[in-house]
Amino acid sequence: MRTTATLVAAGALAVMPACRLAAQHFSVGPQIAFGDYRETTSDLHFRGAGLGAKASVLWKKFSADVWLSKINYKPHGDSALADFDASEVNVQLRYFISGPFSAELGFMNRKADPEFEAQSMGALTAGAQMSHLLGPGVRMALDGGVLFGPKFSGGGSISPLGAVRLGLGLTVDALKGRLHVVGDYEFQSVSRKTDDGSGSPALPAPIQQSLGRIGLAIAF
Amino acid sequence: MRRSTWLLVAVPLLLPRLSAQTVQNTTLRRAQQAFDNLDYRQALSAAHSSLRERLSGYERARAYELLGFTYSGMDSILKAVDAFKQVVLIEPERELDPNRTSPKALSAFQVALTQILVIRQLRVDSVQFIGGQGNVPIRYTVTQPSRVVARVTGGSLGSMRIDSTVANGQVNIRWPARLPSGDPVPAGSYSVIVEASVGQNSFSASQPIRVAHGTVDTLPHLTSLPGYEYLPETEIPPKSWRPVGLGFVYAGVALAGTSALSNGDLGSPSLREGTVIGLGIVAAGFVMTLKKPAPEPARGNILYNQLLREQIARRNAEIAQENTRRRQQVALSVVPLPRAGGGR
Repeated sequence: MRTTATLVAAGALAVMPACRLAAQHFSVGPQIAFGDYRETTSDLHFRGAGLGAKASVLWKKFSADVWLSKINYKPHGDSALADFDASEVNVQLRYFISGPFSAELGFMNRKADPEFEAQSMGALTAGAQMSHLLGPGVRMALDGGVLFGPKFSGGGSISPLGAVRLGLGLTVDALKGRLHVVGDYEFQSVSRKTDDGSGSPALPAPIQQSLGRIGLAIAF
Repeated sequence: MRRSTWLLVAVPLLLPRLSAQTVQNTTLRRAQQAFDNLDYRQALSAAHSSLRERLSGYERARAYELLGFTYSGMDSILKAVDAFKQVVLIEPERELDPNRTSPKALSAFQVALTQILVIRQLRVDSVQFIGGQGNVPIRYTVTQPSRVVARVTGGSLGSMRIDSTVANGQVNIRWPARLPSGDPVPAGSYSVIVEASVGQNSFSASQPIRVAHGTVDTLPHLTSLPGYEYLPETEIPPKSWRPVGLGFVYAGVALAGTSALSNGDLGSPSLREGTVIGLGIVAAGFVMTLKKPAPEPARGNILYNQLLREQIARRNAEIAQENTRRRQQVALSVVPLPRAGGGR
């Protein structure tokens, strides 16, 4: 599969110049994802790797990033847990405000397979991004925000600021801007609580994921 | 026709013209010789005899001049004045050399000039100017107080009066070389005629001139202002540690944030993913720090260049306007031509 992705990228590079747009920028490319997932207690600890893709578009003061990833998480440490696949979609829309700052709005959805091995969840996100140009063609970004109205496959709820996310990104232009080398880090911490309906206080069942993505993107 | 044949035809044609400026009459030459020998009686007799013979204008003037000198030498001033008056009437431009002429003769000549009406030394200066912005200097000397009218004739102009005044002595006038409508005088050959009259006496002198039209030089457009040069609009900033510093700050904030936001119930947070991306950012910042900085716009120079461009554009607009005006103008060139003879 990696070989196929590389061939697709090389082919796209060859035909790319004819597709370059003057007033907007679009890039898309494959990524390697690796992550750390924890749930409820420190015993439910998974680590894994997989493939992903990222697409970005920039138009005037607006920009958008879309990440797709599928990671095969394996239990970390001495545990009798089963592997699961986490398929995640993450969308961020941004509006440039001033200086290095942009406002962000988006949503995320993560689905676990098998369904009962981990929590599937979806939520809206809102936050801000700060980015800086380190040099010609090298840009880094730091963003953070909160997750609103999360839905969990196993139920549960959070306080208004109980779910936060933090991101770090790097984009390096290569081949005169035709190719981007992209690296992203995303951390999600959800202070989920569950209520079994017995009237007893809600039990904390936090979810935490650290996700790293490294890849290439072809710019159009 | 061969060259020798041309000479045979040309020499007889040229001889009368050459001899016109020399004394051919033997009686007059005898009178001149007698004067040179201070034999005034013989000189007077021979000069009067020569005047009864057929003489050219030049010889006639020389005969009267000889009479004037002779009478001056004999202290017959009135007769000398009469003789010099005849000289001036025949050759109005005649001047005596003060270094080679006796004071008595000079005095008689000056008196003669004041007793007759002639226009002398009519001069038109060679000049070139843009139509409507210059004048043709004309000067002449009138020997008696009189009404003097200056006119220009010829070509399609007919006769155009350019000055009328009562004058005596040297007169300077300026002719703008324009028609009554204000247009420049058409190109061609003209004559400047100065007529003086007092009572029954009148005298006129003329000077032929040629008026030529030309185009007025236009100004070239400017590409730069002398002494002012464009400055580079970008400048390379000095190397700084800012990129690697920013990289450390971003990576540090991300990792610290991860630690701060992680839930304690889930154990120590995983910093592996953040560290990998953070190290990438720090490495990129380090490379950017070592790399030659990219040129940055130099605001001061950009503003300076903008001012310079605006100044040049403004000046070129003025030049274009001036050239449009110049293309509608005419450069007049006025040149005096050789005169055929004196006045009368």
